[in-house]
Amino acid sequence: MNIQRVITPRERIGKVPDKLFLFRSCTGSMEYPGTENGIKEVLKILGVEVVMDPDQTCCSGYILTCSGYKPEPALAVTARNLGLVEQRYDGLDVYAFCNGCFGYLSELTHILNQSQSYKDMSNQLVGQWGYHYQGKARIFHVQELYYQLIEKIREKVVHPLTGLRVASHYGCHYLAQQYGILDDGDLPTFHEEIIEALGGTPVFYKERRMCCGYAVGRGFTHKESVVQPHLARKFDSAKEEGVELMTTVCPGCNVALDREQIKLAERGFGPYDIPVIDLGQLIGLALGVPVWKLGFNANTIPVDGILSKLGLGKGD
Amino acid sequence: MPREKDRDWDDNLYSKIDHYNLVENLEQCLQCGKCTGNCPVAAITPSYNPRVIVNDILAGSSVRLLDSEEIWRCFWCANCYRLCPVDIHYPLLMMQLRYMALENGYGLKYVLPINKFTFRALEKGLTFVPGKRGVEKIMRLRTSIGVEPWPQVSEKAIREYRAIFEQTGAKAWMENIQNMTEKPVRFSYLEGRMANEYTKGNNTPGTDRQSAG
Ligand code: SF4
Ligand code: SF4
Repeated sequence: MNIQRVITPRERIGKVPDKLFLFRSCTGSMEYPGTENGIKEVLKILGVEVVMDPDQTCCSGYILTCSGYKPEPALAVTARNLGLVEQRYDGLDVYAFCNGCFGYLSELTHILNQSQSYKDMSNQLVGQWGYHYQGKARIFHVQELYYQLIEKIREKVVHPLTGLRVASHYGCHYLAQQYGILDDGDLPTFHEEIIEALGGTPVFYKERRMCCGYAVGRGFTHKESVVQPHLARKFDSAKEEGVELMTTVCPGCNVALDREQIKLAERGFGPYDIPVIDLGQLIGLALGVPVWKLGFNANTIPVDGILSKLGLGKGD
Repeated sequence: MPREKDRDWDDNLYSKIDHYNLVENLEQCLQCGKCTGNCPVAAITPSYNPRVIVNDILAGSSVRLLDSEEIWRCFWCANCYRLCPVDIHYPLLMMQLRYMALENGYGLKYVLPINKFTFRALEKGLTFVPGKRGVEKIMRLRTSIGVEPWPQVSEKAIREYRAIFEQTGAKAWMENIQNMTEKPVRFSYLEGRMANEYTKGNNTPGTDRQSAG
């Protein structure tokens, strides 16, 4: 094992980009549209230009990993989406804001780049529309950029999160990447450092590394038998530590953690009442992005208590 | 469990399951059990044991693998992969093991409700598009935060996305799965387990899937 597993953002990203390609997340643009919007606003404040493209489709990784179809279409879709970025936005790095998109893009490009026959198969297929994936596009997650820009974020805070007890949920499909991620997959701390930079109080709870349980459709098929007892353990440990707010970096995790709490209470777990928002939305709040642009109406567990603690209202 | 018969052993099981050559180093498995020890699903379903599943695949014993309920519980969280001392990508193995189960008629009920969304994605270019009322809610939400009512996915994108699924045979494969006859799955890894592990609340075998479909 001569490849370093944990590296610094400087080593990983290099120079902070002036401009990046933001990879649209299906869940992020439908379930929690305020996530995508908030991230764009935050990047604007941080001086990074965002490009998106209507010809980009779903990353098509999630249902692949549910065994919903074989790998060929997912590989070809990846070659198409990334070939598109390489051709139209030469040299731009691809930033996902969903751990799913990030993880699947990383895994699928790894397969494409390791296997010439999969790459040829995919390029042949998408070549009919003029796409060609070379394997140059680099894949990042916006959370990595936040961390690289942590000092700039600290300077730009206008609503410090003083006294707010925030717990982070990192999500498996970032931490499970074996090589070259920003932090130790077992004991990551970079979200906590970001929360501190925003003036909040990061809370370490026992099960903070624990999966949201929704990966691969188990929330559809095994909600009661596996997902709910599993999530109850996570929320119990968060509740024990007095967590007031939880952050995610994956709209999919956000669905599981936010939407499931009421159903858990119905089954006699908890009750829990912990609002769950995207880390980008939290940064947005602290950096003074207008609250209405962050779309908290999409949340099942109301965020109002947190807002009033910060002296803000939903309409601000 | 009945003893395996000769015909239940298949020396090529591993290469059949890893049809796509995604987990080339499975034979390096040390049987150390780190995967199982760190698996959140094993913590709730004690008869789910990734180490034993790897062992069965390498040994060529498919008898309890294919009709197993346990294999449908994996979250794909990749904790196992992250901690595996020899970097075995167990989730990619699980994905392919499930293909084999499906093609033999097992576990269809665990994939069809999800595939419903793929068919919809072929119309929209986005996965997990909800029904009509859900769509209206999304449009209201998006409008209220000052962005276009619907995510900007072009007609061209949708057309090409759909064509990829048609031309790779993925759509036909999904339709085929839809038309298969479902065979029942069971908890096939129970032997050697303490009986009372299953008497507590949620772990009772056979109580899953109240919510799917
Ligand atoms: S952690 Fe890896 S080496 Fe150990 S039993 Fe599991 S798959 Fe085998
Ligand atoms: S990916 Fe599956 S087997 Fe591996 S730790 Fe997660 S739930 Fe367990």
